[in-house]
Amino acid sequence: MKGYKVKKVFLEDLGVNNPVFIQVLGICSTLAVTNVLKNTVVMSVGLIFVTALSNVTVSWLRNIMPSRIRMMVETLIIASYVIIVDIVLKAYMPEVSRQLGPYVGLIITNCIIMGRAEAFALSNPPGLSFIDGIASGIGYSYVLVVIAIVRELMGSGSIWGYHILGDWWTNWSIMVMAPGAFFTLAIFIWVVKGIMYKREEGRSS
Amino acid sequence: MKKESFAKKRMYPVVFMLLVTVAFISVTTVIYTFTKDTIKLNERLRLKQAVLYAGGTGLSSDPVEIEKAFDDRVEEIKDDSGRVRYYTIREEGTADIESYVVIQTGAGLWGEITAGVGFDRDLDSFRGLEIIDQNETPGLGGRIDEAWFKEQFMGKQPPLSSVPEGDPASENQFQAITGASYSTEAIQNIVNAAREYARTEIQGTE
Repeated sequence: MKGYKVKKVFLEDLGVNNPVFIQVLGICSTLAVTNVLKNTVVMSVGLIFVTALSNVTVSWLRNIMPSRIRMMVETLIIASYVIIVDIVLKAYMPEVSRQLGPYVGLIITNCIIMGRAEAFALSNPPGLSFIDGIASGIGYSYVLVVIAIVRELMGSGSIWGYHILGDWWTNWSIMVMAPGAFFTLAIFIWVVKGIMYKREEGRSS
Repeated sequence: MKKESFAKKRMYPVVFMLLVTVAFISVTTVIYTFTKDTIKLNERLRLKQAVLYAGGTGLSSDPVEIEKAFDDRVEEIKDDSGRVRYYTIREEGTADIESYVVIQTGAGLWGEITAGVGFDRDLDSFRGLEIIDQNETPGLGGRIDEAWFKEQFMGKQPPLSSVPEGDPASENQFQAITGASYSTEAIQNIVNAAREYARTEIQGTE
């Protein structure tokens, strides 16, 4: 029973309940960090870490936390974990920290973390909330990675900083700027939802 | 609905918030205290690396090598209040000055850009450029930190202006970054301001 539930929560966050293309959360960072793949991956790892831990902590406190101040408490918890990520990056991965700059601090404002704390952790036990946090983080990450690959390839002709396309390729500057993310994300959602609807139709008929 | 007591309704949330705050601040404080020195060392190492790179010494990013080279060859020239005015780098194994490095800060698109700018001993050409701190748009202005951009400053002569990316540049020009005119201009201002500073500070005193 429990194993079944874990699997269900995990798979739902990756697919039918995906934070980016179904719940449309975390769009701000989807636009901001996806123009270079490297930044995207580090941002994703940070987000998975923070979502999982804040979910556990919120779930842990859910029975003794007064509901009228729960948002304050959640914000405090999330902010603390993000500060920890920032400090650890500065101390042990200074190069990465330098490249990400202000983006690490911006994890605090990522709606997915607050959204999962409110929608899931408040009504589920810590173990399951942890799984939900990890899965939501991964669900967010793989969408971002796909978008980042498209944007970096078309915008800079490279992937992970390595030039893939030769000199014949003219970089599309617009792909590096925010509009490029809107286009790519919209096309991504279009394709994924199209497939989902097709499947649903197939099932009902 | 049952009426809640004053303590439960008003006091409990306050006490709860207080306890949670104290708990989390304690945890972050402990982590900060443990990593504080490492972070300081990282920043210092970063500055040393930037000075050596901007000075055109062509050193790798190996920390041990950087520490050694900085100790052996670099001198910090300070003013009366102890602030570093500029750095001198000596040729390896001699007392001759090879290059000067100035740390210059200027306005970027989102925040300040701090860069190390190196000059040869006569101050008539650039030895190198290294970006120490910047908040430019990643992928656009952030490309000022890419090697091809920084390397092109070596041997160029001030005052510098920019040509479009990909065009051949003369000795008074550098290639701009497409889609990042503002960041390019910011770098142009920084390198030229650094040269002005070097002329008054270094040539004025020697």
